[in-house]
Amino acid sequence: MNQTIELSSASEFMTQHVVSVFDTMLSLRATVSTKAGLPLSAERVTGTAGFGGDNVNGLLYLHLSAATAARLASAMLRMPSEEIPENEINDVVGEVTNMLIGGLKSWLTNCGAPCAMSTPAIIRGTCYTIETSSDVKSGVSVFESEAGIVAVEIHIRLE
Amino acid sequence: MATKILTVDDSRTIRLIVGRAFQPFDCQIIEATNGEEGLVAAAREQPDLIVLDVTMPVMDGVTMLVKLKEDPELRRIPVIMLTAEAGHENVAEIGKLGARDYLIKPFRENQLIERVSRIVELRKKTAPCDATQP
Repeated sequence: MNQTIELSSASEFMTQHVVSVFDTMLSLRATVSTKAGLPLSAERVTGTAGFGGDNVNGLLYLHLSAATAARLASAMLRMPSEEIPENEINDVVGEVTNMLIGGLKSWLTNCGAPCAMSTPAIIRGTCYTIETSSDVKSGVSVFESEAGIVAVEIHIRLE
Repeated sequence: MATKILTVDDSRTIRLIVGRAFQPFDCQIIEATNGEEGLVAAAREQPDLIVLDVTMPVMDGVTMLVKLKEDPELRRIPVIMLTAEAGHENVAEIGKLGARDYLIKPFRENQLIERVSRIVELRKKTAPCDATQP
C-alpha cells in the first residue's frame, strides 16, 4: 500500500465528498454537525453499497429519515416530494449512495488499495441497527442540510 | 432533424437528469436500463451519441462499450461514459476501450451539455409560431 489507510482519513475524505455531492447533484448545502445524531426515530431509509479488494473491504451506509429522503429526491428530481413515489425516492438514495461509494473507491485506490464496488441497495424500516464484527473499524459522520439530517457510516476491514 | 441521444443507466434518476439537461435543445432522448437493452436500442435507433453508465446490473457499461465497438454497424456511435469512480486507472481503461469522453459523478447538467456539444451539434429549440400574431 502507498500509505496507511486510517478510518479517520477515510471519514475526512468522505466529509468533503458528501458536501460536493450535495452541492453538485442536489444544490443543497451540507455541513458537518457535531450536535445531531443518527436519524433513528422516524421511518428510516438507508442506502448501502460495498467495496472489496485484496487489501481492504467494507460497507458504506447513507442513513436518513423517510421525510429527508423524500426532500432529497425532490431536490434531485426538481419535483414536489409528495408527487414522488417510494421507488423513485429509493432510486435517488441509491444514486447518491453510488456516488459516495464511487468517491471512496477512488480514494482507496489512490491510497494504494484498489477495490471493486457493488451496486447500491436500500433498506427501509422503523427499527434497525447495524452492527459490526470486532475486526471492522467503523465511524459515523452526521450532516445537516436544508433537506434534513443525513448520516454516513463507513465500515472498513483492512487485510 | 433532432439529435438522438441514447441514455443507458439503471438509475431512473440519472436518465431523468440526462433528459432534463437536453430539454432546451432539439433532441430526442431514448432510454435503456442496462447494457443489453442499450445495444438493442442502439441498433434500432442509431443514435448520434450514447451517454453510458459504467456500473449496471445485467450488462455493465464497459461490456456494452466493448460489444458496441466490435459491431461494425454501431462502432461509429460516440460514447460518453458516466462513472462514479474518478480513479486514474478507471478513466484510462475507459479511454482505451474507445469511449470518446467521460464524466465523473457527481456532475452538473451544464458539464454534460458541454461534453456532448463537443461531439454532436446541439440546436436550441425554436419557440413555436403563434398563428394569431401578425
